[in-house]
Amino acid sequence: MDLASFDTALLHATIERALRRGGDFAEVFIEDRESLGLRLEDGRIEQTSGGRETGAAVRLLSGERTYYAYSDAVDEAGLTAAADAVAAAVSAGERSAGLVDLGPVRSDPGRNPVLTPPGEVTIAHKAELVRAGDDAARSVSDEIVQAIVGYGDTRQKVLIANSLGDLVADDRTRTRYTAQVVARRGDVIQTGHETVGGSAGFELLDEVIARRTARTAAEKARVMLDSRPAPVGAMPVVLANGFGGTLFHEACGHGLEADTIAKGASIYAGKMGEVVAAPIVSAYDEGSITNGWGSQAFDDEGVPTQKTLVIEDGRLTGYLYDRLRARQAGAAPTGNGRRQSFRHVPIPRMTTTYIAPGDADPDDIIAATPRGFYAKSLAGGQVEPASGNFVFGVAEGYLIEGGRITTPLRGATLVGNGIDILMKIDMIAGDFEVKTGICGKDGQGVPVGTGQATLRIAEMTVGGTG
Amino acid sequence: MFEILDAVLERAQALGAADVEVFGERSTSRRIKVYRQEVEQLTAAQRRGVGVRVFSGGAVGHAYTSDLSDGALDALVRQAVDNAAVSDPDEFMALPRPQGEPADVHPYDARLADATDEQRIAVALEVEAAALAADPRVKTVEDSMYVDADGDVFIASTAGVRGSFRAGQCYAFAYVLAEEEDQVETGYSYGVGRALEDLDAASVGSEAATRATRLLGARKCPSMKAPVILDPFVSAAFFGVLSSALTADAVQKNRSLFAGREGERVAGDLLELVDDGTLPDGLDSAPFDGEGIPSGRTPLISGGVLQGFLYDTYTARKAGRASTGNGMRGGYSSLPGVRPSNLVVAGPATPLDEIVAGMEQGVLVTDAVGIHSGANPISGEFSVGISGVRIENGSFTTPVREVTLAGDIVGMLMGIRALGDDARWVPGGSVFTPSVVIEGMSIGGT
Repeated sequence: MDLASFDTALLHATIERALRRGGDFAEVFIEDRESLGLRLEDGRIEQTSGGRETGAAVRLLSGERTYYAYSDAVDEAGLTAAADAVAAAVSAGERSAGLVDLGPVRSDPGRNPVLTPPGEVTIAHKAELVRAGDDAARSVSDEIVQAIVGYGDTRQKVLIANSLGDLVADDRTRTRYTAQVVARRGDVIQTGHETVGGSAGFELLDEVIARRTARTAAEKARVMLDSRPAPVGAMPVVLANGFGGTLFHEACGHGLEADTIAKGASIYAGKMGEVVAAPIVSAYDEGSITNGWGSQAFDDEGVPTQKTLVIEDGRLTGYLYDRLRARQAGAAPTGNGRRQSFRHVPIPRMTTTYIAPGDADPDDIIAATPRGFYAKSLAGGQVEPASGNFVFGVAEGYLIEGGRITTPLRGATLVGNGIDILMKIDMIAGDFEVKTGICGKDGQGVPVGTGQATLRIAEMTVGGTG
Repeated sequence: MFEILDAVLERAQALGAADVEVFGERSTSRRIKVYRQEVEQLTAAQRRGVGVRVFSGGAVGHAYTSDLSDGALDALVRQAVDNAAVSDPDEFMALPRPQGEPADVHPYDARLADATDEQRIAVALEVEAAALAADPRVKTVEDSMYVDADGDVFIASTAGVRGSFRAGQCYAFAYVLAEEEDQVETGYSYGVGRALEDLDAASVGSEAATRATRLLGARKCPSMKAPVILDPFVSAAFFGVLSSALTADAVQKNRSLFAGREGERVAGDLLELVDDGTLPDGLDSAPFDGEGIPSGRTPLISGGVLQGFLYDTYTARKAGRASTGNGMRGGYSSLPGVRPSNLVVAGPATPLDEIVAGMEQGVLVTDAVGIHSGANPISGEFSVGISGVRIENGSFTTPVREVTLAGDIVGMLMGIRALGDDARWVPGGSVFTPSVVIEGMSIGGT
């Protein structure tokens, strides 16, 4: 299926058909996605899997209402059925918007250049990198008992047309390599995790990078074998660069997404311009980072991605909008309307969200902390946007004593409140780094970047078993 | 759909593949969200596709497509064969063979398809109205939903596996925000059924409201070692995480803390834990699993003693035994993997008020955040953030939040000393569980 030369007249007719009983915005989203996944465990590449999913969705907005229908059939019959399903849901008397003729197709292929399309690389070569990761992880120590190494690439082509006359084509390639390694000593079992990925092609990876990624995961697991149970209590917490950014993503980022704002279900609702963080904190969501894992040229509503300042010097300056919430709020969309696939309604989502780096030296931050907790790698976490309360597992953590990183600690969690911890950030370093992740919300997983520089939170609750 | 499955088998055989299995899916679903007594979102979905596994000398290739045209089926089969060429062979990996008659379970009620959109919307509206009416401190019902799914699955293989069934379920869900003096607390509830008529929308809304309002005024409590009561929602989440360690896959890959402990005491002696894919009202009940193997009933823990693990065809061959019918698929694009069907937590029940009355110090846990990130199913250690209500001298006292609950999974299982009389189905993994009382937990507060 060649989306770039898709029948524009059929798109127009579908939008018109969807709007025929009322509604003030209609959109067609067509997707053609090819994926390949390789997974190695126990030294074996397991059931290799790949495939192609195509589908079309029709969305109709009427006031605050969303009607959505999709089908795996990307043809006139499928589009007509979807348009009829949404039109049938409109109550009599809902007002109908005008329909602007579709303009020429917009695309921005230079935004996330792909030097080596993964489809042009043999599966055998991809498999070699996965095996190299297994070898590298196991060579770290005899205590490495398991390595799970994964490689995945997707090429997702989308075509988005709407009643405003927008017609956007976006061709997205993503490549990612992951390693999860298990180390064991007697009854103590620990795991380590590392990833590399981007909105880019196979040029992201080679054997050196694959080996380094797996080795890093293995070293994390091995170090944690020496750990003792983390203490319980409030103490200064230093969050490392890279994976430490998960905390900002979960504890603050979700509360900036405009759907939670619109329902007053976020601690950031009604606080525009107010102080929500320490004055040294500025933060961004940036979907336009070249080749970033969370980046794409356009969001899934055809809006170009951008760099959005969400916190400036401690004051709240922006929310993350999709078209629907932007329209309701009288704001401009920010390129954050994302969906997992044609089977999902677009909602406001982060892209790459981060606290801007400062100018401290990471070593000085540790040295300035007589006793505290150093969270090098977070395992992920959960947050309630309404209260801002969150909890995080710490995958790799250490005690800080006398201004030095000492004993590894296991079983620690970080518990707190989003605004509270942002207010308590008192040092930010310059060692900015972004990691790749998949963020889940409302049953939809989308690729996101999380990152930050090393920073310190003056006091935070650490929950442990020691 | 069987014509398409047969066409795939023929094409694969024409390419020289002898051992081939094809899985097909065709379904429709509705998802309705209301907000402030208006429909906020209505989604109508149609889904169909096929996935094929090619087995070649112990190596497997998998491919899937939603495009069922002739050309797409050709590409599908070629890709599966190519993928098999890069997978490593494994002597225990082989095409599943027929293993007896499908289980006598019919997870479908024809009334599901008779429902109109008006009736479905009415369920979601009633959920929201009941939540708002339950308490003036309920200001917002962030989610009031009705969701259903109605679909057929099909399987056929060159080994003679051949079958299909229809399954349907629906649920109502509420997620409520309650507010008082600048404090916001949340609560949720579900109702599940095979048809819309099975759902009690009003009680879903009012229960979610109660779960939110009883947390108002919550604050940290002192750190202590004390018994806790996990309510059925929290218990279901814990047993859901735990169940991954009870799969043969985790055991064989050295990822289970239960490996090699069959016949040992691993839990309080009253605990019975069973996987049962044949229960008439089980959300994940089915005649057969994603490999065409009949669903069954598998005791996992009995009298506190570990009985065994869950198997699919591959892990069963490796262990020299038969599959338990737990080769589950997420859909046509997914490979089968070992997972529970319906997990049932059972044992002698004690009335919940009697349990509370007998407790000098403790916490009723009604929400736990971070179970999936804070619990490590490999090492068994966990530390999660909890909300709930404190119990002092046999009565509920103040609500608590921002406290942590920490321990290790086996210690927690061994500490189980009573089960409530409030067992219910919890979706999102399909667990049937009562409240569970556990002694000696570390509660981290002030």
